[in-house]
Amino acid sequence: MNAFELISAVTQIIYVLIFISVALRLARQPTRAHADMTLFFGATAFVILVSRVAALTGSAPPWLTTVEVAVLMALPYMLLRLVDDFTHVRTALKRAAELGLAAGIVATSVTVPALPTPVMLYVVLYFFVVSISCAVAFFRSARRSRGVTRRRMEAISLGSILLGTDILIAGLTGLARPDDRAVLQALGQLLGLGSGIAYYLGFAPPPLLRRAWQEPELRAFLARAASLPRLPTTLDIVRDLEHGAASSTGTAARIGLWQDDTSKLRFWEEDDKTVDLEPGTHFAGRAFELQRPIFSTDPIRDNPDGAAAYRSRGIGAILAAPITAGERRLGVLTLSAQRPPIFAASDIELAGLLADQAAVILESRALIDDAARVRAREEATRLKDDFLSAAAHDLRTPLTTIVAQAELLERRAMREPTAPADIAGIRRVVREGKRLAGLVGDLLDATRLEQGGLVGEREPVDLAVLAQELCAHDAVETSSCRVEASAPVVGEYDRRRVEQLLQNLIENARKYSPERTPIRIRVWRQDGEARITVEDSGIGIPAADLPRIFERFSRASNVDDRRFHGMGLGLFICRGIVEEHGGRIWVESEVGKGSTFHVALPIADEGGSKR
Amino acid sequence: MTVEWAGGPPGAKQAPSASAARPYGRGDGQHDTVLVVDDDTSILDTVSSILSGEGYDVVSAASGKEALEAVARKQPVVILLDMRMPVMDGWAVARALRSQGISVPIVVMTAADSAKRWADEVGAEGYLAKPFGLDELLTAVERFRGPGGRTN
Repeated sequence: MNAFELISAVTQIIYVLIFISVALRLARQPTRAHADMTLFFGATAFVILVSRVAALTGSAPPWLTTVEVAVLMALPYMLLRLVDDFTHVRTALKRAAELGLAAGIVATSVTVPALPTPVMLYVVLYFFVVSISCAVAFFRSARRSRGVTRRRMEAISLGSILLGTDILIAGLTGLARPDDRAVLQALGQLLGLGSGIAYYLGFAPPPLLRRAWQEPELRAFLARAASLPRLPTTLDIVRDLEHGAASSTGTAARIGLWQDDTSKLRFWEEDDKTVDLEPGTHFAGRAFELQRPIFSTDPIRDNPDGAAAYRSRGIGAILAAPITAGERRLGVLTLSAQRPPIFAASDIELAGLLADQAAVILESRALIDDAARVRAREEATRLKDDFLSAAAHDLRTPLTTIVAQAELLERRAMREPTAPADIAGIRRVVREGKRLAGLVGDLLDATRLEQGGLVGEREPVDLAVLAQELCAHDAVETSSCRVEASAPVVGEYDRRRVEQLLQNLIENARKYSPERTPIRIRVWRQDGEARITVEDSGIGIPAADLPRIFERFSRASNVDDRRFHGMGLGLFICRGIVEEHGGRIWVESEVGKGSTFHVALPIADEGGSKR
Repeated sequence: MTVEWAGGPPGAKQAPSASAARPYGRGDGQHDTVLVVDDDTSILDTVSSILSGEGYDVVSAASGKEALEAVARKQPVVILLDMRMPVMDGWAVARALRSQGISVPIVVMTAADSAKRWADEVGAEGYLAKPFGLDELLTAVERFRGPGGRTN
């Protein structure tokens, strides 16, 4: 046996081994793709067997040669069918290949056993052209795929090029000068071996190689995975996982999450609309219920309920894998493709790995959420403690004066009953008593507000008149208050609360403004709403504090809170009054220039301005 | 409310020496000076009028800065010091005094829940938890009165 014969034998053994491998696979999973693979390599094995028999017996009967040539010619056509199993092949190309095949078989069977050169050339060219077309189709399909599938298709593409070239060279060998024949034969043998190896890697890759091909995709996926649990929302994580799974597998990927409250699987559409799925229905529901991957190469047949959707989206293959962390069933990963992937086994494996990874990520997210909930509870407790401390502190301050001053007044009255009354001391007690009453009122209001019951009975109130009354009543010599209102602005309000609102805003404006600077109030109707602004030219509110200014116990950071007594509840209560009336309150402010508080309240009816 | 003492006079500054044998009182028949520090003017006025009625010389300060200035002018026998004040709070006043080597006794006045903790923290000699009554105030200050301080 010389080197050529050895190479030839190895090539033939490889092809026969592939045939056995795909035939076993067909027996396990009878799919169209597996049948086509078995057919293709069965034909190859047949050709090999015939040539071996012919070599042993020295000659072969003409009918066997006819069959051999026919089968040989059918090989590239079978390859074309394989291509068609996972990517679209144009019908015209298929028909042309079938016609060419028929013509070739007729031509060879007529001229057998001595094939004339034109027939020989035709057969060789046909084989070459169709093989190369298949190689191109496989290659394009490989470009759309990822990971193992991509590498395998690239190998098959290479195998097809080598096989086509091999046959081309074998055909040309007969026409070549005898000197060149040996070289061409050697080249042909090498190409044959190459195509055998390439097909072996493509159609039946050893597990080691498969894992090596899978690794970069998984690595890329894992590299992103570490950062995923920290994304702002679970939906963001789902989106990223879907994206990662799609690019790792070269398919469309969707993730459904189990909802404990509804006992359904929830999927998110592109527009964030949700679709809920009962467990046990469709592929995702079945994979979730059975807790194992489900694969279908004919989803319309296997799940007629989803036929319309599969048709409209052109889905020809679906793979659903459960996402499960230990005992916790978290959801399902669904991969869908237009054609059934030819290599279902490795895709199922990859989908399983991706689903496991998704489970880890989602589980970490759940832990992070739990920790956040605990922190929020602690924060709420702390806020409550802070509230009690702050309230106690603020109530004790006026009480100190009241208690001590009252005792002093008592002692004086006892010691010197005839002495003139200490008017200043009495005034202090009265003033601090009122201040205490105000604080207690604010505290009660804030508590009522949290229970949503601040606003009581409503009656028609003219805001313009109300503002004027408050302004006049509040006018003190140290500052001026001016109301601009050209027409009555009447709505159904809780009079006492709206009064409190305006009073608070006016007091605020006065408190934070230098003495003798005017406070300007405007009341008007606009866009079917009552509008009020209270404008001062005071110290203003730093931009950083604006978002919190209406919150409980919030004071602007430039307010020295001892000079401006209060609990920081005033604007919180204002917001509550406005919102319970169905209105809005906001503020515009610039440090050093002043603040303008805006209020918008609904108006009673469209007539509005009752006289 | 009772007045509790947060311990003896603090630190080495209290070590008796010839010149500082009686740091708290003047002992010369003059009124003892008490410094009252509080940003709440009502409390300031009330405490001042109670203490002046008892024969103390009262200096009132409405801020930490005023308090330090007052001490620099004339060292009182005791400082009644509010804790929560804007800009410079009571804690900062106490620290500033100690760092200047001034060891005037301090009685902390606070409306916070943890009056004693505050007193310990600033190294004060006593505390008054707001609201406090007349007698508590007087008892708290009495301890620091010099033997000849009372004239009436």
